[in-house]
Amino acid sequence: MVEIGSISILLSFIVSVYVLAASLYGAKARRRDFVKSAENGAIAVFVLLLIATGALLYLLINLDFSLKYVALNTSTDLAMIYRITSLWAGQAGSLLLWCLVLALYTALVVIQGRNKNRELMPYVTATLSVVLIFFIFIIGFVESPFEKLPFTPSEGNGLNPILQNAYMAIHPLTLYLGYVGVTVPFAFGMGALLSGRLGDEWIRLSRKWALVAWTFLAVGLLLGARWAYLELGWGGYWAWDPVENAAFMPWLVATAFIHSVMIQEKKGMLKKWNMILIILTFFLSIFGTFITRSGIISSVHSFAQSDIGPLFLGFIAFILLFSFGMYLYRSKELESENQFDSILSRESAFIFNNLLFLGAAFTVFLGTIFPILSEAVVGHKILVGSPYFNAVNVPIALVLIFLMGVGPVISWRKASRENIIKNFMYPVILSVLTAVVLVVLGIRDVTAVLSYALCMFVTVTVFTEFIKGVRVRSKRGENPLLAFTRLVSRNKRRYGGYIVHLGVVLIVVGVTSSSVFVTEKLVTLSEGESGTIRDYTLTFNGMEQYTTDAKNATKAELSVFKGQKDLGVMVPEKNLYKYEGNREINQETEVALRSTFTDDLYIILSNVGPDGTASFRVIINPMVSWIWAGGVVLLLGAIVTMWPSGRKKREEVFIRYSLGEKDITAKA
Amino acid sequence: MFKGKLKFIVAIAVIALTVSYLVYAGVKDTMVYYLTVEELKEQVPDVYDDRVRVSGIVVPGTITQNTGEPLTFTIKDGEETVDITYEGIVPDIFKDDVEAVVEGVYTPDNIFVADTLLAKCPTKYESTDSLYQEAAKDGGQYKEGKPY
Repeated sequence: MVEIGSISILLSFIVSVYVLAASLYGAKARRRDFVKSAENGAIAVFVLLLIATGALLYLLINLDFSLKYVALNTSTDLAMIYRITSLWAGQAGSLLLWCLVLALYTALVVIQGRNKNRELMPYVTATLSVVLIFFIFIIGFVESPFEKLPFTPSEGNGLNPILQNAYMAIHPLTLYLGYVGVTVPFAFGMGALLSGRLGDEWIRLSRKWALVAWTFLAVGLLLGARWAYLELGWGGYWAWDPVENAAFMPWLVATAFIHSVMIQEKKGMLKKWNMILIILTFFLSIFGTFITRSGIISSVHSFAQSDIGPLFLGFIAFILLFSFGMYLYRSKELESENQFDSILSRESAFIFNNLLFLGAAFTVFLGTIFPILSEAVVGHKILVGSPYFNAVNVPIALVLIFLMGVGPVISWRKASRENIIKNFMYPVILSVLTAVVLVVLGIRDVTAVLSYALCMFVTVTVFTEFIKGVRVRSKRGENPLLAFTRLVSRNKRRYGGYIVHLGVVLIVVGVTSSSVFVTEKLVTLSEGESGTIRDYTLTFNGMEQYTTDAKNATKAELSVFKGQKDLGVMVPEKNLYKYEGNREINQETEVALRSTFTDDLYIILSNVGPDGTASFRVIINPMVSWIWAGGVVLLLGAIVTMWPSGRKKREEVFIRYSLGEKDITAKA
Repeated sequence: MFKGKLKFIVAIAVIALTVSYLVYAGVKDTMVYYLTVEELKEQVPDVYDDRVRVSGIVVPGTITQNTGEPLTFTIKDGEETVDITYEGIVPDIFKDDVEAVVEGVYTPDNIFVADTLLAKCPTKYESTDSLYQEAAKDGGQYKEGKPY
């Protein structure tokens, strides 16, 4: 198995180099046979990496401790599911998975693009294979997952207990699909620059890929947040840790990208800008991998540190220089076909959206690398923490939410006074009303009031759009439900996008509520004693010890009442893992959580005294579940946008859609 | 036409200035120096009452936690040690011999009052040392106790 694995990796490296050479030569010499053979090669690379991954999985499942990777990441007491997930628990395994995902994307791109866009595609394949070559080089020659130990230990180090969680099993995988997915639109952009086909072709072909990557990044970030919330036991879900930022930055720039490509498609503007955005997104995705994999910025997430850092820096330098070089070489040909007419127009709403997303990404970048920067410039390590990120990003986010309401309904080119009044009267009235009601109810936090009011603004504009569309269709005699489904299915991009916006609104409401109105209290109780927090009453029923194969657990039982209502028993735990191995964590706090749509009751057993008393940290986090619900809505919306439809139909819809737009402008 | 362009320039300038101001204010208000224990001791008494972040290894046996009272422990870095009190959530990985990072204020009675506690696992994560020790203990296939 070990041999099969390492040989497959070696072969996949050789084939990737061939794919690069053959597709470049095929494109230059106009030799279809070479291009075709390169395409087959790309599929072969995927199969080879699949074999390598299968071999590593086999070794992990069968606990072959003679392999360094297996000995470091598993142990005999590990459940089957976590033997499988330990494929991405360590450095070499995650990089192998990285390669596999990229090879999968490449194979899909190749299969989908066969015999189409013959000028562009060979360069896209070539770009993808350059990135593949770099990553396969690392697992083949620097950090091999198939490295043997000079002896066979009888037991492995085991998997960190906090990683033994269902969310941890899928969160990294989702994030990888996002991180790696960014490579595809980047490859199309580079393909356009290299082949000189600088029209909308690359945007049109890569739009769905960009959405796929964006969605995986968003869902991956949310799953990570949920994991942190359930498992890390500090009551929060986001800490602006460098590792979180690493995934957040490409997401921010990708968001700017998926918005600004619409301007290029509709108006032929922002061509240069889109190219820059996709280069930046890809850079940030590689930079993010570099941060998490090199350990250059200290993080509470302990990832393996190793010497692949310099390699990554070299690769980043190459990517940036080469792509910006190509960009400069072609920049003359990327001229806009239209001009900006008015600041009150949909185009300019998109411009400001882009500027702010980029601004947010830049401030997060700055904050993340601040320790390195300050050490280099003033010789002292200076940190900026969560307060910096919040202070900077909250105002930016508020303006972005505002634009999220404005963008979809303001007219193209130039919005007239009538258009603005007609479209924004009700949303503005309702959001001002929301603000007034909240202030009357006693909410004095300016940020919170603004955030809720703006969320109302967006919600009203989105619902108005749906109602308007349904009404037009019902007038033609369709029943409202049919009208609604037809409306969405005929304009998937537009209405799917609105659903995503609603998901974002839910997330913003959840984040605002849980960060502004959180209540935290430390209570120490002896058996039979009660404590209260807000309208909750907790009675400590006593402690119990139990032992399983893997751990000694202490659980504390609490009876919980909200007002007079009996909510049953909640049981926070503290676990001590028996087999310590070389795990740096041998204890684990199991949070007791009761989640509703109004608030989460979050109980941590923080300490157990020798006299039978116990300290609990009790947190009431309002509306956290809105964040997760928002994530589901966002995912649904994204699926609607990406749902395939017949080619002919799509073009038809496209024309109708732009006619509709003109109608609105003309009427207004 | 020119008037339209001017509006864009003004709007973009306003956004750029606002974001830069937010960065400036954010950094100014929240930046903390990251010191080693030795650097902290060198800067006494200037450092008293400044918010700083300090890291060091937790001295084994110094962690005491009584229910309802703050956690106390000592961290060490080179020859110097500093006593810490902390109230808040203790990370699972916090224990003897790990690297602890604390943020707070060093008070004139030489106690560091922390409100943030992070624990880091040093680079031993993907180290094979323990596997070698394990093998040496077993007296099995491997006897040297050191990687070749």
